[in-house]
Amino acid sequence: MRDAILIKGLSKYYNGFLALDNLSLKVRENENVALLGPNGAGKTTTLKLLCGLLHPSSGAAYINGTNVMEERERAISNVGAILETPEFYPFFTPDEALSYLGKLRGMRERELGHRIREVLKLVGLQKWANIRIEKFSRGMKQRLALAQALLHDPPILILDEPSLGLDPRGMVEIRDILKEARKKKTILFASHLLTEITQICRKVAIIDHGKLRFYDNISQLKKKYRSLERAYLRLTEGAI
Amino acid sequence: MSEFDKLKIVTRYELLKQLRRKRFYGGLAITVLAVVLTIGLYQGLDLPRHMRIPDQLINQYGAEIFAIFVTSMGALAVLAAVFFAGDAIAGEFEGKTGYILFPNPVKRITIVVGKYLACFIATAAIILVAYLISAGALLVFYGQVPSGIVGSLAIALVLACFMISMAFAFSSVLKGSMGATIATLLTYMVVFSVISMSLSYAGYNPWFMPDRAGDSMTATYGIPFENVFGGMMGGGRMTSGVMQASQDPTLGFFVLLAWAVVLFNVSVWVAKRREMI
Repeated sequence: MRDAILIKGLSKYYNGFLALDNLSLKVRENENVALLGPNGAGKTTTLKLLCGLLHPSSGAAYINGTNVMEERERAISNVGAILETPEFYPFFTPDEALSYLGKLRGMRERELGHRIREVLKLVGLQKWANIRIEKFSRGMKQRLALAQALLHDPPILILDEPSLGLDPRGMVEIRDILKEARKKKTILFASHLLTEITQICRKVAIIDHGKLRFYDNISQLKKKYRSLERAYLRLTEGAI
Repeated sequence: MSEFDKLKIVTRYELLKQLRRKRFYGGLAITVLAVVLTIGLYQGLDLPRHMRIPDQLINQYGAEIFAIFVTSMGALAVLAAVFFAGDAIAGEFEGKTGYILFPNPVKRITIVVGKYLACFIATAAIILVAYLISAGALLVFYGQVPSGIVGSLAIALVLACFMISMAFAFSSVLKGSMGATIATLLTYMVVFSVISMSLSYAGYNPWFMPDRAGDSMTATYGIPFENVFGGMMGGGRMTSGVMQASQDPTLGFFVLLAWAVVLFNVSVWVAKRREMI
């Protein structure tokens, strides 16, 4: 199996502050990996670098063998992403927002219409397809963010806390969608929710202060530390 | 899919975004109101006589003098461009919409150009409405539309390009949309005016300043400015800088175009490098 995501010695400074310190990580095709770490550990920075939203201070990242820093558009065409707490243009409806993004991703008009209905149904927004997004709650926008990430059926999903802002029902529904998606896709996602991580991913990468502290199967981690929670607390000791 | 196809998509949806906003209709309403009020006041108060323009010149250049007044009001629509363009780039970062737009297989330059075209089309639409009303009024009151109105429209459009470029440059550098909008307006209305005025008083011709180049939209009608408007200034002379800048609309057009191109390139250069932190 080839590497869907390959991170080689990636470092990132923000005005002299080292947010990511020589991080290296491999995610193979169809693997599901959780990025776990305290606030400010470097999880979001890693995902943003992978999507080409930041320029690394050193190192490189590859998606399906394509260097993100050198051929960003080609690399990113294989990815569906949710980063931070995304916002949509408030004057658009979900139908228009997804049409815009689908067309930019090269989807044809006929398949796009069908696919938009499909993903909106999947995230439970089919009745809201033609309502302006300015009327949406945080949770509804998060559902729409997942819909846009899945829209072009990308082989790789990069998700930053995908269930943020959702009510308990929404969290369960999103988790079910990701459980289904993991059968055919590579997923790299950052989360603070340990139960979510154990339900969706087989592997976990724990990072702290920009450094990789542990990267292996969750079962191995549990064997060593007895639980994911204990492992997290031990491996991120002293973190604020 | 080619980048040109993507550019068409970005432009189309950015234009849709502009047309859905209240500020487009607000800009249109204010411009129409300003033009209609100018027409009404000019005709109702018989302004040329109050401005001490000699009767002989009023008879000779009546339509042209009226055109200068109404089209100058219509050209105020270029200020609407600042409100369309101020948040074009900064808004993606400030409003976090960039987290959805940027992780797509489309070059940053394509996004910026698409946004620029959408802002220009929205502004041009308002300018065209203003000029159409002006042309209609000219036909009603004078039975003719001076050919100089075409040149005036061309300069108004290139002035809009310049304003959008300057707003884009500020929008690509500054964090907030409001800051970019205010910075653009202050630079054009205060900073450039102070520089141009200072240069004029010092005896230099500020032909290269965008505010003076913009003034040349009133010089496309081929009327002798100093004779027609000299009376307005009391002493029979206008500020030398205004006179000099008003003399050559072609030069004004290319000065504005050069500023627009340079500032637009600055905005693209910065926007391409800006990180979504």
